[in-house]
Amino acid sequence: MRIPCPYCGLRSHDEFVYYGDATVRRPDASTADAENRFVDYVYVRENPAGQHRELWFHQGGCHEWLVVTRDTRTHAFAAAESARAGGTR
Amino acid sequence: VPCVVTFGAGHFYISQSDKGGLVFGGSIDMYNSYAQRGNLPTVEEVCEEGIALMPCLSRLRVLRSWGGIMDMSMDGSPIIDHTSVEGLFLNAGWCYGGFKATPASGWCFAHLIATGEMHTVGKAYRLDRFATGRLVDERGAGARPNLH
Repeated sequence: MRIPCPYCGLRSHDEFVYYGDATVRRPDASTADAENRFVDYVYVRENPAGQHRELWFHQGGCHEWLVVTRDTRTHAFAAAESARAGGTR
Repeated sequence: VPCVVTFGAGHFYISQSDKGGLVFGGSIDMYNSYAQRGNLPTVEEVCEEGIALMPCLSRLRVLRSWGGIMDMSMDGSPIIDHTSVEGLFLNAGWCYGGFKATPASGWCFAHLIATGEMHTVGKAYRLDRFATGRLVDERGAGARPNLH
């Protein structure tokens, strides 16, 4: 599997560190149900068979955090962009 | 190789077929996948672990490889529990284990279904451990997401 890094081009996936689902958002800690929402935030994932937006860190390259869209059935990449540009935090 | 040998310092197991071929396996991809095809960097890592255990393996040639799907849980340990739906029980997330744990886990699962109470041997594998913080650190690698 080769990941299309927007800065380095197609690179072997073992240059990258995987960090999972890029769509989860840290919940607001001040809300009444914050504890349950934090459990979901840390432990509950959709794990779809198909398109998956996910975080990869290019440790062996440009050191950029990327948001990559990959089909988990075929490993076909639909998009790869900087996490900073996408504002995923 | 007269038995299944497990290399606990890494994640590797090996046995030998009656025809003499060695059957070995190990690490996971570490990313979500339903492709069932593995990848070459992981093949390399599994071979490295095998050679660390048995240096004589370095002279052999790989005939074929296989990749499947592993049901990983967030702390790397299985879940055996009842659910909020009456009559629906959960026995999943076998991660690194499975076959060798089948007799004991089957016994615990049957005990749970028959009595409604978890057997003492399996009581750590509750589904709500992720909410209560009583995670299982089976491998000693840390019981948190993205390590398994």
